[in-house]
Amino acid sequence: MKYLAIVAMFSMSLMAASPEVVQYMKELETAAKTENRSFSGFDAARGKEIFTSTHTGKQGKPMACTSCHTLNLANPGKNALTGKVIDPLSPSTNPQRLTSTKEVTKWLRRNFMDVYAREGTAQEKGDVLTYIMKN
Amino acid sequence: MKTLLNISVAALILAGGAYLYAEDDYEEHEHRSSSVVAKPMTKQDKTTMALYQKECGACHIAYQPEFLPKRSWDKTMNTLDSHFGTNASLDPADHKTIQNYLATHASRNDRMTGMGGEIAMRISETPNFKREHREVAQKMVTQAEVKSFANCAACHTKAASGSYREREIRIPNYGSWE
Ligand code: HEC
Ligand code: HEC
Ligand code: HEC
Repeated sequence: MKYLAIVAMFSMSLMAASPEVVQYMKELETAAKTENRSFSGFDAARGKEIFTSTHTGKQGKPMACTSCHTLNLANPGKNALTGKVIDPLSPSTNPQRLTSTKEVTKWLRRNFMDVYAREGTAQEKGDVLTYIMKN
Repeated sequence: MKTLLNISVAALILAGGAYLYAEDDYEEHEHRSSSVVAKPMTKQDKTTMALYQKECGACHIAYQPEFLPKRSWDKTMNTLDSHFGTNASLDPADHKTIQNYLATHASRNDRMTGMGGEIAMRISETPNFKREHREVAQKMVTQAEVKSFANCAACHTKAASGSYREREIRIPNYGSWE
């Protein structure tokens, strides 16, 4: 019984996302396989690179995900364009994160534009979400 | 808790409407009279207001619709995928609800006299706003803590709840205005 509870806790912390968002990740996985035949699962290390590297954003200026969310996802961020404080992105610090597919898809669409001046691919979205879940 | 918070924000905004541009007699009257005969907000109104607060308040304060007329808001809503250098696009249902909300609460005054026929998308570019802020030095605005006039809440400490009274002004590194 005790053992079961521990297993349940462990798998919950592994997910760190609502069933809705886990389902969305599955859809991304299917799409990633279609995009890239050699795709073999999402990778937090690739996600970290996506999240921390600097690119020429929509405004033609250097921008990274960390420009607004900072390097430590447990800390509040600050919108580089407007100065408004952003609550932490880390689901373990901020349990509201990654609970709504509507929110996640909306912000990934906007934020990939901000940083990469294009939409993210299914693999990129899955990788970066995997990274965020682990932080 | 969250709903409670939204409702109180809504109430503050309704009350705060009276503080927008004190010299704006027509709207002033409008707000006063509407707060006297205030119809209680329906559940639908509250949901709509909460949606506006959430969606248009994610990157900056949710600006009070009373600051701009309908044609300004329509222009903003029709260009959300390229909104001041960022992408603020919404799903179609939310887009429609918010556009209607803005239209309902928009200023009845044109607010753009003297702009050569241009449609203002910024509150901060309207002649009314410029007149109100003519004594505010450029360096107070461009400093890192403020960035631009769009950041109302950096100086107007109660801006998010719709109140712009002089005694609530605190300019970062300069202090109160009075
Ligand atoms: C210009 C500033 C900015 C940049 C750059 C940015 N974000 Fe965001 N992001 C935001 C804001 C603002 C929110 C919504 C804040 C809120 O809900 O409090 C957000 C929300 C999110 C969310 C939604 C989380 C949830 O479930 O609520 C995710 C995921 C996200 N960002 C990922 C990224 C990724 C990945 C990048 C880089 C590709 C990125 N962001 C770059 C500003 C930014
Ligand atoms: C993804 C982020 C984001 C979202 C969401 C967003 N905005 Fe903005 N908005 C901005 C940025 C960036 C600026 C420019 C700020 C500056 O100049 O300092 C801006 C500026 C504005 C201004 C001009 C302020 C002024 O007077 O200078 C208005 C009006 C405005 N937004 C309305 C809206 C409305 C209405 C919505 C909801 C439909 C919305 N915004 C949602 C990012 C956003
Ligand atoms: C750099 C600080 C600063 C920013 C940013 C700023 N204001 Fe102001 N605002 C002031 C000051 C100072 C006054 C008083 C000016 C005076 O009395 O000469 C003022 C006055 C006003 C008034 C008139 C208040 C009254 O009692 O008559 C309104 C309304 C107003 N601001 C709205 C806004 C809005 C809306 C924004 C954002 C779009 C904004 N302000 C951004 C500093 C600022």
